[in-house]
Amino acid sequence: MSTDSTKRNITVGVFVLLGIIIFIAGIFVLGGQQKRFTKSIKIIAVFNDVGGLKAGNNVWFSGVKIGTVKRISFYGTAQVEVDMNIEESSQQFIRKDANATISSDGLIGNKIVVITGGTTSHPEVEDGDRLKTVAALSSDQILETLQENNNNLLRVTKDFKELVGNLRKGKGTVGAVLTDSIVADNFKRAMRNLERASDNTVNLTGSVSKFASRLNTPGSLANQLVTDTTVFRSLKRSATRFESAMTSADQSINTLSRTAENVNKASEKLNNTNSPLGVLLTDGETANKLRTTINNLSTGTELLNEDLKAAQNNFLLRGFFKKKAKAEEKARADSLKAVQQQLPDSTASKP
Amino acid sequence: MNSAMNKPGKTDENSVISIRNLRKSFGDLHVLQGIDLDVKQGENIAVLGRSGTGKSVLIKIIVGLLKPDSGSVVVLGQDVEQLSAKEMDTFRQKVGFSFQSSALYDSMSIRENLEFPLVRNVRNLSRADVDKAVEKALDDVGLSQTINQMPSELSGGQRKRIGIARTLILNPEIMLYDEPTSGLDPITSIEINNLINEVRERINATSIIITHDLTCAKTTSDRVAMLLDGKFERVGTFDDVFADPDERVKQFYNYNFVN
Amino acid sequence: MFLALADVFAFISRFFRELFLPPYEFKEIIRQCYEVGFRSLLLISTTGFITGMVFTNQSRPSLAEFGATSWLPSLIAIAIVRALGPLVTALIAAGKVGSSIGAEIGSMNVTEQIDAMEVSGTNPFKFLVVSRVLATSITIPILTMYTIFVALIGGFLNVNMTEQTSFTSYIQEVFGAISYVDIFASSLKSIVFGFTIGMVGCYKGYNSSKGTEGVGKAANAAVVTSMFLVFIEELLSLQIVSSFR
Ligand SMILES: Nc1ncnc2c1ncn2[C@@H]1O[C@H](COP(=O)(O)OP(=O)(O)OP(=O)(O)O)[C@@H](O)[C@H]1O
Ligand SMILES: [Mg+2]
Repeated sequence: MSTDSTKRNITVGVFVLLGIIIFIAGIFVLGGQQKRFTKSIKIIAVFNDVGGLKAGNNVWFSGVKIGTVKRISFYGTAQVEVDMNIEESSQQFIRKDANATISSDGLIGNKIVVITGGTTSHPEVEDGDRLKTVAALSSDQILETLQENNNNLLRVTKDFKELVGNLRKGKGTVGAVLTDSIVADNFKRAMRNLERASDNTVNLTGSVSKFASRLNTPGSLANQLVTDTTVFRSLKRSATRFESAMTSADQSINTLSRTAENVNKASEKLNNTNSPLGVLLTDGETANKLRTTINNLSTGTELLNEDLKAAQNNFLLRGFFKKKAKAEEKARADSLKAVQQQLPDSTASKP
Repeated sequence: MNSAMNKPGKTDENSVISIRNLRKSFGDLHVLQGIDLDVKQGENIAVLGRSGTGKSVLIKIIVGLLKPDSGSVVVLGQDVEQLSAKEMDTFRQKVGFSFQSSALYDSMSIRENLEFPLVRNVRNLSRADVDKAVEKALDDVGLSQTINQMPSELSGGQRKRIGIARTLILNPEIMLYDEPTSGLDPITSIEINNLINEVRERINATSIIITHDLTCAKTTSDRVAMLLDGKFERVGTFDDVFADPDERVKQFYNYNFVN
Repeated sequence: MFLALADVFAFISRFFRELFLPPYEFKEIIRQCYEVGFRSLLLISTTGFITGMVFTNQSRPSLAEFGATSWLPSLIAIAIVRALGPLVTALIAAGKVGSSIGAEIGSMNVTEQIDAMEVSGTNPFKFLVVSRVLATSITIPILTMYTIFVALIGGFLNVNMTEQTSFTSYIQEVFGAISYVDIFASSLKSIVFGFTIGMVGCYKGYNSSKGTEGVGKAANAAVVTSMFLVFIEELLSLQIVSSFR
């Protein structure tokens, strides 16, 4: 009887003790994870827009978590002050001239504060320091640009299609076509659009390459996710897609700049009243150039289209495109087809 | 003692239990409607009455489990209603209560059941003392072999006897038996009757025995009290009470022996 | 209705009064901890393990649709630590412990054991109610810790089998998703759950109607009422905790 109750007491003791050990172990693992027990310093950054950053989000430096966001409060009229706790051990790596950016650890991941730059010529940050901030291109903006860019190209294609169509239909004489101010205007507009598309693409390429490189930065969470398990293959695939988007965007820049050049030359010739109009159109070189321009343009558009489609198939971007692309998609495909059909005709119509 | 003196001429000074004009109702159910009873030192009194007349309620009031609506209950010179929690504990050690349903603790073994009142009331008892007392109490009711069994393994008669043994382990001055023989076969009933008489001789206890069993009333009691309509209508020796021509009393007697 | 509420209130306040008044029934408290806690450990651990595995498995398809199965560990962690662990433990305990307390005290009430205790110089409220309510308030949080532990292991086994996630990265993901607020809120919540289950069981048993059907009713009412209250408390805790987060 008394041995029974001793046994029971021991059982209860062990039972309770183990439960408490689980609890305390949980607290300690969590503490280690969140580095709550390491010493930290506070630094501040003031942003115009924190894009949904919350207290508790991580702070990264060179792809390594070095702290957390402590507090977010309004600053002045519309700016946002972000207080961050930074581990004391990483203090030495962050210089007073470093920049803080709002970013995310994946296209749909958590918001993070990324600290970049800084030179050793500046002293290391101290408790209470305020970092400069850089507004980053958000993933939304990247997609926005991509879309806009494509629209521009679409417009260019349309313009050329019109132009070519007119040429083919042989509205009056060839000379009439080219002296026709509407046609000339169309041509100029096409050129302007081309230039804009080309600029945008340069911008876009920068953003995409930044994003892709982040995915591949060893040690970053995104990279860990990517290399960790097979599950992340799709994420990795999207990274490569972005990379190929980047390279093809590069290609299209080249194509576009070449095109722009050609068009410039062509319009120069048009504007040159000294040169007879007939020369322009009978000049085989110029005609060829015009043809390659149109060809290049259509391949450039196609490439970008492909990328867009690839991106659309990617889960990360699905929602974005569902909203926007539906109607445009059709129009774009139609116009492309039209251009391609008309191209051989247009060259054939060369006298 | 004092409260007993407060009502001179009403309470009997020799009485161990003295009840005056006790009333108790549950809502509209007026169970006790003016009970008067005196029980002398060493006297055994049997309380008879039909089911639901309030016999159990009466002895629960005596031991302080229920509060009376009005009237006075003086037991061992103390007004039960006026006792503090501490005084109540000491008082209850002197009053043994054997429950109608035995009330053995289901979750405890027989040994734990028996030592429960001991270890809870008597401080600084050695393990050996407790064991000895338990064994003796079990021996007195003739159930030594059940010491390590659980109450659910015992028969109704055994449970009744263990219940009585548990009550006796504190050597009370007053014993309250609530239907000690109900639901038992005649032979076991007689054994219980004998047990009650033994107890009386051994510890010289004053007892109230609630029973429907006239044999039990006859063999264990000095007097019989008949509870009718919330009052003790007849109090006297067994023969006196049942010599009464009152239909209600006669009925009780006849049914007992017809059944 | 209001009478019943006043009755409940009186019962609870009596608990707190008697909780601090000596004598303390340590032996009985430990015995009840054994009955309530240790005796439920196997059942609750098994349930927790299965919950962890099944929940992980069932959450996978919807995450896979977004190619985000990498978030399974964090999802499991949040769901188990914040809600499932305490809730599953409380519901199982309400079924197992709550009903047995209701039935035990109910039958003690019906068979006059409570009265017997009182005439034996023992405060039955302290001996039966205080010890049981204390035992549930202590052991159910502890059982919750076990449940969370085994549920997370269950989740890990499932994730490990399907996605080959390593233990280290699983632990990192799990503890990256939860916070101190989560752990403390869960512990506090399960103390409240434990208190509720013990209190309801005791109240229903202590106030059971006489007769054997009273016992059954008390056990049944103990389970139904405490489960209902656990859900209400879960809802309230959601409001309270979200104001801290
Ligand atoms: N705690 C209580 N609350 C409400 N009513 C009660 C309570 N205790 C007893 N009663 C009622 O008082 C009446 C008398 O009950 P009691 O138990 O004293 O009867 P009894 O004379 O002992 O009957 P039996 O011979 O069947 O034991 C019954 O009608 C019972 O319903
Ligand atoms: Mg009775």
